[in-house]
Amino acid sequence: MSTSTVRLAGPPGDRQPPGPAVGPDADLTLDGIAAQTGTLRIFRQVFAVLARELGAMITDLDHLDADEAVLAAFAEAGTEGLTLEQVVAACRPLGVVGGRFDSRLVARRFEVLRAYGAITKVVDRPHERYHRAAFAPYVMLLFLRRMAEQGGQGELHQLLTLEGIGVRNTRATTDDARASLRRLVTVFRLMANQLAGLASASPVEELRENAELLWGNRSLIGQARDVHAVVLERWPDLDRECTTLRTALAAYGDASDAAAARLIEQAGATRALGLLPVEAWRTFARTADAGTLAGVLDGIVLDAPAPWFSPQTLTSALDSAQPAAPTRTPPPRPVSDAGRVADGPAADGPAADDADELRRLVDRLLADRADLPVLDLLDDVDDWPAGRRLLARLTAVHHHPDVPAELVWADGLRIDVDAPVPWASHGVLRRTDGPA
Amino acid sequence: MSARPDRSVTTTALWWARVRAEGPLRVPPATEAGAGLTRLLEPDGSAVWLLAVPPEAAGGGALAELGLSGPLVEQPNDTARLLAAVVRCCWTDPHASPWPGSPAGWGCVLAVFRAYADRDEAAFTRAATAAVRRLHGSGWVLWDERARRVRFGPRVAAWSPADLTVLREMCRQMPEPTADRGDA
Repeated sequence: MSTSTVRLAGPPGDRQPPGPAVGPDADLTLDGIAAQTGTLRIFRQVFAVLARELGAMITDLDHLDADEAVLAAFAEAGTEGLTLEQVVAACRPLGVVGGRFDSRLVARRFEVLRAYGAITKVVDRPHERYHRAAFAPYVMLLFLRRMAEQGGQGELHQLLTLEGIGVRNTRATTDDARASLRRLVTVFRLMANQLAGLASASPVEELRENAELLWGNRSLIGQARDVHAVVLERWPDLDRECTTLRTALAAYGDASDAAAARLIEQAGATRALGLLPVEAWRTFARTADAGTLAGVLDGIVLDAPAPWFSPQTLTSALDSAQPAAPTRTPPPRPVSDAGRVADGPAADGPAADDADELRRLVDRLLADRADLPVLDLLDDVDDWPAGRRLLARLTAVHHHPDVPAELVWADGLRIDVDAPVPWASHGVLRRTDGPA
Repeated sequence: MSARPDRSVTTTALWWARVRAEGPLRVPPATEAGAGLTRLLEPDGSAVWLLAVPPEAAGGGALAELGLSGPLVEQPNDTARLLAAVVRCCWTDPHASPWPGSPAGWGCVLAVFRAYADRDEAAFTRAATAAVRRLHGSGWVLWDERARRVRFGPRVAAWSPADLTVLREMCRQMPEPTADRGDA
């Protein structure tokens, strides 16, 4: 099956290369070109499978490298030419690691190059083994590499320049001009079709990847218009072709506007300015000087920065600041707490603990006695507040673990309206560690 | 909409527009500027600052009273604290008007600022430098980075007498500026 298909593809005349194959009377409307590119796409899909299996299609850069190596081998060889085996041998050292240029790949590429005439027999006779290479395919390889790297925009400019020179040439004929116009029409139609398709139907990532179709579209159109103007001036009878070119240019302009609008709309949502690759923005931001960056704002008047600091703002800012360590004063703490934490001998200021004072109080009250009724103590005081104070201190004595005394309350209540403390419970203050 | 615009009005409008777009303007003393601009003489008399001081009811405080946000400042608290530190250091005579004040060393200002923004050294320096740059950019403080000296910018003249009362009280509560150590 594959052989029959290959035979179908075999005669080169059957295939229609995209550009120049547009016949003189070909339909140059959008539909016509769409149909044509559609057919081409199907052909390409059919043959691509077979060609890829044979290694005849350039599917990755290795193949280009192999082509270059083959042509470089011929360049080294001089006028004698090389046989296939010599070429394979010469290419082997070039494929450094992993045998990238294995002999089968080189042999296949050799056949492919010979098939389209890049390599010809030295003498055209059967079984001639020596071949030599033409220079044009190598130029084409360089061209292909540039296309792959830069998207072909520069080539398009060169093509337009060449067409412009061509039609200005004094010896140019009507047919030259017509052919020129046709090439331009095809180029712009194809670009417009691709862009329009991308802009209307493709995911935006794909559109962004193909954004180079948009680059410099104004200058491209301008250059094409120049060619158009020259042709229309010199050969007014080519006005039909010129009209076609004008419509093609308009179609390209519309398509790029639509694509740019879609990209900008998308960028508005994601802030990804995808018209240029990210690296271009980064490089620009890093390398541009302040003047260039500020140039973006040329012609725009902005208010000077004029924040207003009211005194209230200043005060509240100061108040909200956490005070620095040197000015920080420790907050007042309950004395008993501080004593319990035991700051130790380093604790300065008033005694943090009142154990000594309480112990002195106990010694003074009890003297040599083992215990003492609280009522006796209360009867000695002058008034109620003094009695209350005394009771408070006795309670402190009772609760302090380091003071060897306690209060023991008994039943009964003494009521005496004349006493400084009218209502008082019976109880005794006594030592817990025996008489001092 | 008159066909023949009054020339003096146009000049005034232009000066106000310039002041609005460029902030306080430093011009030679002999410059004839538009009406309504406050002229602040440099201490050495070499130049004059032109400052647009709107009336009290339309000044910077009016926005806050209306609950509207004025021009935004980055790190507003640190910036305000540094301005307070500059006020403490440069306003040596609290009974006089703040302008022109007296220059103060950057170290002195930093010492006062540190009382309100004590962090690790790198963050502190960064905060102080950023704040003084913002204040310098908006004309509140004139910062001589090379000489490490700071003085009041012309915008301090926009504080009203009532504002100054608050500021005096604020200065009284702030720590005493240390002697100018130049480059502390």
